Amino acid sequence: MKRVYTYGGEVHMKSKCIVQLFIIVLIVGMAENCWALQSHGPPEGSYVHQMAHLLFSGALAYLFWHTRKRPALESKGWKYLQIFCVALICWNMLAFIGHEAYSFLQAEDFVNTDSLQGFIAPPVSFVKVLYYVTKMDHFLIVPALLALVVSLRIFYLEALREEDK
Amino acid sequence: MKNGLPLLPALNVEFFGAALAILLSFVALWYAWRLVKLQPNNFIWGFLFYFCIAMAAFSLSRGVGHMVRIILVLAGEGDTWSTLSPFSGGFNTMLMISAAAVTIYYHKGLAAFRALGGEAEKLSDANTQLAATANELQRLNSHLEDMVAERTRNLSKSEKKLRNFIENSKDIIYFCDQSGDITSINSSGREMLGIDPAQAAINFPSLFVREEDKKEYLTALQENGFVSDIEIECKAGAANIRYILLTASAVYDQDGVIIGCEGIGKDMTRLKRMTEHLINNEKMASVGQMAAGVAHEINTPLGIILGYTQLMMDDYDKDSESYANFEIMERQTRACRRIVADLLKFSRQSESAKTCIDVNRVIQEVLAVSEHTLNINNITVERSFMSELPLVIGDPEKLYQVFINLFNNAQDAMEDGGAIIITSGREQGTIVITVRDTGSGIAEDVKKRIFDPFYTTKDVGKGTGLGLSVTYGILQEHGGDIYVESPVCDPESGEMMQGSAFHIRLPECDPETEI
Repeated sequence: MKRVYTYGGEVHMKSKCIVQLFIIVLIVGMAENCWALQSHGPPEGSYVHQMAHLLFSGALAYLFWHTRKRPALESKGWKYLQIFCVALICWNMLAFIGHEAYSFLQAEDFVNTDSLQGFIAPPVSFVKVLYYVTKMDHFLIVPALLALVVSLRIFYLEALREEDK
Repeated sequence: MKNGLPLLPALNVEFFGAALAILLSFVALWYAWRLVKLQPNNFIWGFLFYFCIAMAAFSLSRGVGHMVRIILVLAGEGDTWSTLSPFSGGFNTMLMISAAAVTIYYHKGLAAFRALGGEAEKLSDANTQLAATANELQRLNSHLEDMVAERTRNLSKSEKKLRNFIENSKDIIYFCDQSGDITSINSSGREMLGIDPAQAAINFPSLFVREEDKKEYLTALQENGFVSDIEIECKAGAANIRYILLTASAVYDQDGVIIGCEGIGKDMTRLKRMTEHLINNEKMASVGQMAAGVAHEINTPLGIILGYTQLMMDDYDKDSESYANFEIMERQTRACRRIVADLLKFSRQSESAKTCIDVNRVIQEVLAVSEHTLNINNITVERSFMSELPLVIGDPEKLYQVFINLFNNAQDAMEDGGAIIITSGREQGTIVITVRDTGSGIAEDVKKRIFDPFYTTKDVGKGTGLGLSVTYGILQEHGGDIYVESPVCDPESGEMMQGSAFHIRLPECDPETEI
């Protein structure tokens, strides 16, 4: 082992060796309750999905904040990009709430879902209405994507004019 | 509400919304792709392109998932959907995280891009400057000869203009080195100062006649760096003196040391002579007027005194003492009358009989009478007459008087002997006669008064002080002029010689106006 001399000298090196030895003893000597591979239960997927919504919202919030902060970004395209960010954050929140609301509903709450006459069974509760509203999330994501399109179109036209100069 | 919440509106919104979302996300991707193609070096477009890819993939995954779900469930294939559902959800989750990751890395990417952009901009600026410099260098290089030629032409033109100006100037324009030697002088200056172009370097201050002028000139240049409008007398060639109004400036080197001087001189000789002449004429005219008046008033009583004296002489015996006294009275009265006659000649009151005469002959006739006396006093006479000298208009009797007076004065100035040099010649339409002696010369203060009546430096009884006054009056009457030079400048060697020279100018005789 290469000896590293730092302030404190060999005392530091010795304590580090002891810790490493302790971990090895712990893993090898007490192995009867450990599995080789971690298994993933059914709720994990939905948790990851919900976390992905939150991560995505955070990333969009960051993008919104960053594009607002820059005075150099004066193009109107950035405004639409910010609208896109806000709308998509809202959508993420709505989707998050929708997923959460769904977890409170039972299979009996959905009637005839394999036909066009399907409905959510009465009595209508807050959770059911909330879920129903979140099912209309496309009213947020479509305008958000439209704002993205408009934003990029403005950027493109400006770049085109710039190139023409 | 009693029947629950119908799912059909939600299904419709879900199905068509998913389709629209897919469509819009791909339109956005298309614009992002066009942007990247248009400006491939723009990092932001690159980010938006990758973000749009993630968004399109997410929209596609999600939209297709929703649509497939609706179709399968309505088609009674709910089990199939149950199999596909986790994949759809997994894809959606993965693509959302991807979109988030792209967004998060945007910040670092942008910072790196800006840093690189800044460097690239600096490099680009440096390159642009380098290219501009290279172009300028190339242009200068290729046009250097033309530019040099053009500037040389301009310089030559300017130099020629300046040279012409200097050369054509009627004033003296000169340049001297540190020691005062003339390094360059214009043609007017050479002509005015009688400088031969082939002559070796001439020291300008050495041409000054008066030492005080030289001192003033050199001191002012040294102390003030310039002289302004000083009047100097300057030697001009071998025999002439020029009066010059001089302005000069010292020339300094980078260390402030005088390395020479440059100056302009205006010839004031003619103006000065004319001024002196006018002053003299004015003085002589007033003196002449007074003399004429006095002579007229005295002449009559003198005649009466002389007449009565002669009458009284007849009453006495010639051997008597009274007769001898009357003789003295008669002699002195006659002397007075001679003086009066001279005064009248000076004031041009006496009558003249003018005709065309040969001045050489007049001089010869005067010398025929007086040369013998001059020789006795060890004075030689040298003649340098111009042959076929044009005639002048004049009264020969009065011109005899002029030359007699000049020879007498010369004789008086050379008590120990010497030489009288008489020259005659023609100069610019006038006859010039010079009578030069090798005598003691005339002092500067005497020169100014030499033609004044009754001014004499001779002992009492030896002269009346009217000789040169009469000479002056006669020559004025003849339309001529006389001036004195003392000491005399040798025309051949240019050296100053002891003695005096009287220069007489008389107008040539015009046969048509002969009297």
